[in-house]
Amino acid sequence: MNRVKALICILIPILLGYSLNTKFGDLPPILKFLNPFTGFWQNAEGMSPSKNKKIVLKNAKDKIEIAFDDRMIPHVFAQNDHDLYYAQGYVTAMHRLWQMDFQTRFAAGRISEVVGAKAIEVDKYQRRMGMVYGAENSLEGMMADPHAKEMLLAYTQGINDYIKSLNRCNLPVEYKLLDFKPEQWTPIKCALLLKQMSAVLAMGSDEFYMTNILKKYGPAITKDLFPDYPFKEDPIIPVGTKWDFTPLPIPATPKSFTDMMSTNIATKQKEEGIGSNNWAVSGAKTASGFPILANDPHLDLTLPSIWYQIQLHAPGVNAYGVSLPGAPGIIIGFNQNIAWGVTNVAADVLDFYQIKFKDDKHQSYWYNNKWQNTKPRYEKIKIKGAADIVDTVLYTHHGPVVYFQKPNYGRAANVPTGHALRWIAHDKSNELKAFYLLNRGKNYNDYRKALPYFTAPAQNFIFASVDNDIAITPNGKFPLKWKNQGKFILDGTDPSNDWQGWIPAAQNPTVKNPPRNFVSSANQSSTDPSYPYYINWEFAPYERGKRINDKLKAMEKITADSMRNLQMDSYSIMAENLIPYLLPLVNAANLNATQKEAFNLTSKWNKYFDAKSVAASVFDLWTKRLSIEIWDDEFNDKQNPMRYPSRDRTIELIQKDPNSKWFDNVNTAKKETLSDLVNSSFKYACDSLERKYGTIGEHWQWANVKNTNVPHLAKIPGFGSKKLLIGGSKSTVNALSESNGPSWRMVIELGKTPKGHGVYPGGQSGNPGSPFYDNMIDTWAEGKLYDLFFMQSPDDKSGKIISRYKISKK
Amino acid sequence: MVFIVILIISFALQSFFPWWVVIVVSFATCGIIGKTGKISFWQPFLAILVLWTGMALYKSMPNHHLLASRVAEMFGLKVWPAILVVTAIIGGLAAGISGLCGYYFRKSTITSKAKS
Repeated sequence: MNRVKALICILIPILLGYSLNTKFGDLPPILKFLNPFTGFWQNAEGMSPSKNKKIVLKNAKDKIEIAFDDRMIPHVFAQNDHDLYYAQGYVTAMHRLWQMDFQTRFAAGRISEVVGAKAIEVDKYQRRMGMVYGAENSLEGMMADPHAKEMLLAYTQGINDYIKSLNRCNLPVEYKLLDFKPEQWTPIKCALLLKQMSAVLAMGSDEFYMTNILKKYGPAITKDLFPDYPFKEDPIIPVGTKWDFTPLPIPATPKSFTDMMSTNIATKQKEEGIGSNNWAVSGAKTASGFPILANDPHLDLTLPSIWYQIQLHAPGVNAYGVSLPGAPGIIIGFNQNIAWGVTNVAADVLDFYQIKFKDDKHQSYWYNNKWQNTKPRYEKIKIKGAADIVDTVLYTHHGPVVYFQKPNYGRAANVPTGHALRWIAHDKSNELKAFYLLNRGKNYNDYRKALPYFTAPAQNFIFASVDNDIAITPNGKFPLKWKNQGKFILDGTDPSNDWQGWIPAAQNPTVKNPPRNFVSSANQSSTDPSYPYYINWEFAPYERGKRINDKLKAMEKITADSMRNLQMDSYSIMAENLIPYLLPLVNAANLNATQKEAFNLTSKWNKYFDAKSVAASVFDLWTKRLSIEIWDDEFNDKQNPMRYPSRDRTIELIQKDPNSKWFDNVNTAKKETLSDLVNSSFKYACDSLERKYGTIGEHWQWANVKNTNVPHLAKIPGFGSKKLLIGGSKSTVNALSESNGPSWRMVIELGKTPKGHGVYPGGQSGNPGSPFYDNMIDTWAEGKLYDLFFMQSPDDKSGKIISRYKISKK
Repeated sequence: MVFIVILIISFALQSFFPWWVVIVVSFATCGIIGKTGKISFWQPFLAILVLWTGMALYKSMPNHHLLASRVAEMFGLKVWPAILVVTAIIGGLAAGISGLCGYYFRKSTITSKAKS
């Protein structure tokens, strides 16, 4: 009896200790997380950091000094390249270790290791798309180059030396919450991170949808609704720019493709998310007589901030800008002589090939009139709280066969089953070298020398130099394709469908010092149809580019502040194109009081997506609904997923073909007209706003409806930002939606000493317990920029330094 | 007495050992010097409650409770003191229950010795 009692008395505390130290489901290990000696309380940082610190790191080759300015931005002063990237790795890990770790685990399909079985499909998708395969190839490319290799190894060493200094108390708080530990950094993780950028920016694929459309409607309608060049466009390379090269011969278009497009053979709406702006104006248009360059890349915003500001100073280099936590070097920035930036090019560098397998074993496939063997790649996925699984992915010479059976996973929706993926991100590459050279670039020639190293994701590299050169180059490794190769799914048995070479890097579209004295890009078509090569049939809508070009054309005596205002511009070219055609169709007599008020406001609207505009909310919801009412009846088929025609084509239809058959809803007996749809969608928009936000008034304001906020990377509640009441919209220059938008705004004034201005929605620190976690977010929301402190020496007194690290070997 | 002993030993040991050392300390202390069941629950409870509240505030005050507010929100609580109360009470309970178990463990082993 008493022995039982004694046993119980021992068991209870043990059970108590165990259960309060263990993670159950989504609940953190409760006292491991809450106790103030090693739990989250230890991550609460004081409001002022320690002033000076001496650190001994035996892997440093020489003395390194890191000065932190009053926004905690590190300025690294090293005596050699190794120490420079070593210190970058160290300091980035100090601020962002969990983010780097989590992002690369995500890229590698290793999230199940951390969160358990619920992430298996996420991991399988990453592996089956060939992310690790691509990273391995890419790493090979980087390690073959002495500069890139040194960068990678030093950066890796810096991260690992920081990890060594961690203990139970100062582990980043997310580790404590999700209950896992940091692992050693390896160079492949840098490659994975760069691949993940390709996945974010260049993984879009409509060919499955397009093929379904082609099968359903045939070539004539497909050509009509999905044209190869938009109705309205203002391309990046100005119309009329001459191509000063002799193009390579284009591979012949296979007969099968021509047949498919000319005979009727039997065989979700596109989300506008990825976009960015950049522009550079020559000294002829600025007050100072020197060029000004601006860039704001739009991404899914998260905390910790996507970017990490840093200044890198060593013999031969002094560059300031933003880096990606997990990759050495500066991606967007400036130095004494030049400034550069990027926006995404929607190049078609991802194709699906239909594979003819010999049998259900999928060991052989038909290609070039022969049976070829597939190669298996075994992907071992570790799962927290369960046994490992091994996922076998079969590779053809094109690339991996992504799925044989469609999983229930959103991102897999556009992947056709039984098809092989050919994707540029699988290729050997050395993007780091491009940034190594740009960071050290002095002039236009250096810029041109850096570009060929950059493979993917293709970017519009914009450039300005103190010599008054400006330039832009849609740049990346582009496959040499016949026109429209990859607009639809390709037949994998026919070698003429393979990628048969590359557009020579020197022949990528480019323009230097055009007569209009500015260059710009906003993800629209790279060129007009005169460019001899095929890059893609569809790019982002032209509205942002058009607005930027209109404004820049008109501007004179430009200053940094006028550039900043242009970045914040929320005027809608889309509204300008649509309102005069839609408003006259609204039958005001049939509207109730709320709808009438909304109609009046929309009629008087200045077409700016201002935070306080009610008309902007009405217009946004109205046109979204109108698009659904026009296209959903014809292009929504669960069995054969399709996409809608573009916004450009829809506007063309509304403006030029108001009696088009597409306006009829095929699911009703009645014959609807454009006017019917305009009225019903207008009422729908007003009614749903009323249901959600009450009577028309303050609550209908655009900022409130849009609900902009910056969530935490792992969507941990409390670690994200509050709701930010700000304007902007995807189709305007300030392309800010709910949580996608300008992830870094930068304006650089070149001159004797360059002046930089910039801000991102977040802060330097990745620790939610740091005052520097989100200290820049309000400035960002107000549309202001900070003056960037471009230090000339470690003792530069022209800015404020709050903390200094002196690193030495002993 | 129990209160002071647990407070001091837990403070010292938690710098080197995981949090659950407070369970061991409470169990052992009350197993050796716990006079009554009441003392063996309440004194460890209060000792850890006070120790943890003190330590949490020591870390959180210079932080202006930025992190505590975020974690409170994560747990669905409105204000930061709520997460402090949750921390201190769960910690206190773990210690109190362990203390009580330590006390009854001694009693059960001593009486079983007497009987045999």
